[in-house]
Amino acid sequence: MLSPLDRKLLRDLAKMKGQIFAVSLVMACGLAMMIMTRSLILTLESARASYYQSHAMADIFATLKRAPLSVADALSTLPGVASVETRVAVNVTLDLPGITEPATGHIISLPDDGGPQVLNRVSLRSGRFPLPDERREVVLGESFAIENGLHPGDSLVAVINGRRETLRICGIGLSPEFVFEARAGETLPNHKRFSVMWMNYRALAVAYNLDGAFNDVCIDLAPGAQPEPVIEEMDRILAPYGAGGALTRKEQASAQRLDDELRVLHSLSVAYPLVFLSVAAFMVNAVLARIVRLQREQIAQMKALGYSSRQVGVHYLKFVMVIGALGTFMGGIGGRWLGGGLVSLYTMFFRFPSLVFTMDYSALGLALFISLGASTLGVLTVVWQAVKLAPAEAMRPEPPADFKPSLFERIGLTRWFSPTFRMALRNIERRPWQAIFTAAGLALATGLMVLPGAMSDSIDYLLTFQWNKQQRQDVTVFLTEPTSASGLYDLEHLPGVIRAEPIRSVAARLKFGHRHRKLSVTGIEQGANLNRLLDSKGQALVMPEEGLLMSEALAKVLGARIGDEVTVEVLEGRRPVLSVPIRGLVTDYAGLAAYMNLGALRRLMKEGDTVNGAHLALDHGRWDEFMRSLKDTPRAAVVMVKRDQLAAFRETTGKSIGIIRTLYFVLATIVAFGVVYNSARIALSERSRELATLRVVGFRLSEVRGVLVSELAILVLASLPFGLLFGRGLALFIMSSFSTETVRLPILINRSTYAIAILVVLAASTLSFTLVSRMLGKLDMVGVLKARD
Amino acid sequence: MNKLPTSDDSDAVFDARALRKIYQTGEVDVVALGGVDLTLNAGELVCLLGASGSGKSTLLNILGGLDTPTSGSLFYKGWPLDGSDENTLTLFRRNCVGFVFQFYNLIPSLTARENVALITSISRDPMTPEEALEMVGLSERMDHFPSQLSGGEQQRVAIARAIAKRPEVLLCDEPTGALDVTTGIVVLEAVERINRELGTLTVIITHNAIMSEMADRVLHLSDGKIISSHRNATRLPAAQLKW
Repeated sequence: MLSPLDRKLLRDLAKMKGQIFAVSLVMACGLAMMIMTRSLILTLESARASYYQSHAMADIFATLKRAPLSVADALSTLPGVASVETRVAVNVTLDLPGITEPATGHIISLPDDGGPQVLNRVSLRSGRFPLPDERREVVLGESFAIENGLHPGDSLVAVINGRRETLRICGIGLSPEFVFEARAGETLPNHKRFSVMWMNYRALAVAYNLDGAFNDVCIDLAPGAQPEPVIEEMDRILAPYGAGGALTRKEQASAQRLDDELRVLHSLSVAYPLVFLSVAAFMVNAVLARIVRLQREQIAQMKALGYSSRQVGVHYLKFVMVIGALGTFMGGIGGRWLGGGLVSLYTMFFRFPSLVFTMDYSALGLALFISLGASTLGVLTVVWQAVKLAPAEAMRPEPPADFKPSLFERIGLTRWFSPTFRMALRNIERRPWQAIFTAAGLALATGLMVLPGAMSDSIDYLLTFQWNKQQRQDVTVFLTEPTSASGLYDLEHLPGVIRAEPIRSVAARLKFGHRHRKLSVTGIEQGANLNRLLDSKGQALVMPEEGLLMSEALAKVLGARIGDEVTVEVLEGRRPVLSVPIRGLVTDYAGLAAYMNLGALRRLMKEGDTVNGAHLALDHGRWDEFMRSLKDTPRAAVVMVKRDQLAAFRETTGKSIGIIRTLYFVLATIVAFGVVYNSARIALSERSRELATLRVVGFRLSEVRGVLVSELAILVLASLPFGLLFGRGLALFIMSSFSTETVRLPILINRSTYAIAILVVLAASTLSFTLVSRMLGKLDMVGVLKARD
Repeated sequence: MNKLPTSDDSDAVFDARALRKIYQTGEVDVVALGGVDLTLNAGELVCLLGASGSGKSTLLNILGGLDTPTSGSLFYKGWPLDGSDENTLTLFRRNCVGFVFQFYNLIPSLTARENVALITSISRDPMTPEEALEMVGLSERMDHFPSQLSGGEQQRVAIARAIAKRPEVLLCDEPTGALDVTTGIVVLEAVERINRELGTLTVIITHNAIMSEMADRVLHLSDGKIISSHRNATRLPAAQLKW
C-alpha cells in the first residue's frame, strides 16, 4: 500500500513524464557508456586471463639466428625459469590462387611427435594438428582463413626458403601469442595478407638449415619469479647466437596491443561518461528546483498537517531516486546492448577462442551509486530550502520576484533593448546560479559533440599524412635475412620497379638516463623520398650526416630532447655501443622508431651495402607482372602493399572508430536535445503566468514565443564558446589518452567539427523550442492568470 | 485588426443573444452560461455580481475574447465575435480590450513604466506609459519594479497597462479581491476615473455587493443566467464606498 506522499510522488512524476524521461535519458547515455566500456574491459580482461592461463602464454620471448637445441638446457636451468619452448619461426611469402599480391605467412614450428606444445599452445578451431612427421601440413590462423575463405583440406603455395611448396591446410587455429595478429613491426592488422601458421618442426627446420637448432624461444617463469634477471641471463646466453634481446610479455607485440586497448578503454570509461553525468546532475537540479518552487504551498500544507522536515525532504529526494533509478535501468539496458554489439568490433582486432560479452554488474552498481550521488548532491540545497520554510510563510503567495535593471542597462545600453529582451536579461541576472547551471549544462552538451568530430578529423589527417605524405612507395619488401647489395639489385630489377630505396635496420637498445627501449634503428639514404620522415607540420626532414632522428613518441618515452646524446647498443653483429646526439624529431603515428644516415649505420656495423629490404615505387601498368615475379623471389619474406594496408586500415580501424564516433555523436545529440528541452520546459512552467499575461493583453503567439525563447537563446549562445573550449579540452585529453607506444592518433580538431557541434546544438535547440512552443499554444490563459503563484 | 470596426453609430458596444458556454469535463457537461442576452453601451460602468460558479467570469472572458461561446451570437460594435479565429481575437484583445485581474499579473522583471510600455509598443493609438501611469496616480513610482510596489500600487499599474491602449472596453475580474479596503478604494477610484474621463465601457466582476453602488448598472448572475438587472439612479463615487 503506497503512502499518500508516494502517491503524490507518482502523480507528480506522471505529470512531468516528458522531462523526467529527458533527464533520465541523458543520465542513461552516460551510464550506458560507462557500463559498456567497463563491461568491455571485463570481457577482454577475463577472456585474456583465461586464454593466457589455459593455453600457457609464455612470459618471455626471444628470437635469434640459430642456436643448437642444447642451449635450451642451459636456459631451463636458469633460476626462475619454469619451462622452455624452442621453436623455428620464419616468414614466408604466400601465393593465394586468384590474388595478385603475395601474402605473408609467419610459420612457427610444432613438436614433431604431434604432442602438445609446452607454451603458447595452439587452440584448434577446426580440423586437426599435422600428423607426426607430416611435412606438408599446416594449421592456418583463423582470421586469415576466414578472410580468404580457406578451410581444412584446402591448399596454398608458400615460398619456403626460395622453393615453392604446396601446403595442405589440416586445421585452423589460434594462439594466445597472436591475439592481435599482425606482421612483426606492424601496428594494424591486415588479415587478408598476413597469417600465422604452424607446421611440424622437422620440415621447417630442414628447409632453413635449422635442424637440431632453433631460432625462437619462449620461457615460462616460475611463480613469483621476476622477468628482468632471467632476461639478463638469457641475453647473455643467447648473444653469441644472434639474439636481439629478449622481450617480456608486456613488450610482446600482441600482448602490448591488447594492453594498449584496455588502457584506452579505461580512460574512456571515466572521463566521457562523467561529463554526461554532470550534465544530468545539472538537469536534475533544475527540475527539482522548479518542482519545489511550484509546490511551495503544498510543502507548507504538508508541514502544517504535521509531516516533519525530514519526511518532506525525503519525499523530494525520492524524485531524484526515481530519476536515478530510471536512468540506471535504461543505462544498464543500453550499456549491455551497446557492449554486446561492440564486442564484435573487437574480434576484428583481437582473436580469442571465445569472446563473450560479460556484463560488469559491479559497474551497474557503481552507476547507480554515481548517478544517485551526483543528482542528490545537485539538489541538496534546493531540498533544504524547501524544508526549512515555515508553514505559515510558505502558504502566503511568494512575493513578486525581486528585479533590478540588468548590468547591460546599468552601463547605459537600455535603449537598444526591447522590453522582452530586457525581461530575458533581468531574468538571467536575477537567478544567476540557475542561469549558470543551465549554461553549464548546455556548454557540456556542446563539448560532448567535439570528441566524435575530432576522431574523424584525426583519422582523415592520419590517412593523408601516413599514406599520401609519408609513404610514397607502393610496396615494401623485407628479405628473409640481411644480404649484400645483390638483394637490392634483385628487387630493383623486378619488372615495373621505377625506383627502389634500400632498407637497412638493426635491432638496438636506446638508452637515455635510466630509460631504455628496444627497437630497430633504420638507416636512411641521403635523398630518400619514398618512405619519408616528416616533422609535425608534414615537412620532410633531411637526414643529417651524423646523429639520430627519432619519433617524437620515442623522445617522450626516453625523456630526451633534440641535442641530447642517447646511447645506442646495437644488438646484432659485432654489437657496437655508441653515443649519438638527437638531431631531429619525426612525427609518426605508430610504433617507436629511430633513424640514422645509412652510410653512418653501415660504417658503424663495419659492413658493405647490406640491406634488409627495400621500398619500391612501381609502374602501375605493370602491377600484376611485378607481383607475379615477386611471388617467385626467393628471398622476399615479408611484402607490404600500401594500398592493401590502407584498405585494411579502412576496414578495421577506420570502421571501428567510425562506429564508436557515430555512437558518441548520437549520445551527445541526445544530451544536447535533452538539456535544451528540459530548460525550455522549466522556462515555460516558471513563466507561464507572464506568458499568459502577454497573450491576454494581445501579444501574438509568435511574439510570446519570442519572449520564451529569447532567454534560453541568450544562454545557448553564451554557452557555445565555453562549450567549444571545453569540448576541445575534453577531446584533446581523451585523444591523447588513446596514444600509446604502439599506436597514436594525430590530435587536431578541424573548424568544421566546431561548426557541426554548433549546428547540432542549434538544431537541438530549435527542435526543443518547437516542441515547447506547441505547448505554449495550449496554455490555458485564464486558468493560469486566475491561479495564485 | 483592419477587419474590426473602430467606431459605430449606435451606443451598443457589446450585443449578446442567447450566449451559451458549455465545458466538457470528462463525461460531464458543465453549463457555464445558459443563454445570456445582454447589451452593454459605451461609457457605462457595469457590475457583475454573483456567487462562485455563477458564470460571471465566463461571461467576462467571452466578452474579452479570451474564450469563445458554444452557441449564441456576440457582436462587438456590430462585428460578430462568435466564431472568430485566434488571430482575430488576439487583435481584438490587443486593440479594443483592457484586462485587470485579481492577481495583477505584472511582469516582475519589468518596471511599472516598462510593464505599460509592453502594451503601448504593440497598440495602434496608445497614450504614453507616463500618461497612463499619471491617470492612476503613479507618476512618482514609474521606475519601480513590481516587488518594490504595494499590492494596490501593483493593481494600479495593471490598470494603467490595461488602459494605455485607449481601449473601448475595460474588463476587471475582482480587481480588489486581494486588497484591503483602503487600497481597494484607491484602485476603484482609478477605474472610475478612467471610465469617466475616457468614456471606456467598464465591466467589473465582484463578490462585494457594496461595490455595485458605484455602477450605472448592476447585473446579477446565477447558474449561468442573468437573473436581475437594475440601473442605479445615481452612481456613488468610489471614495464614498464603505465595507
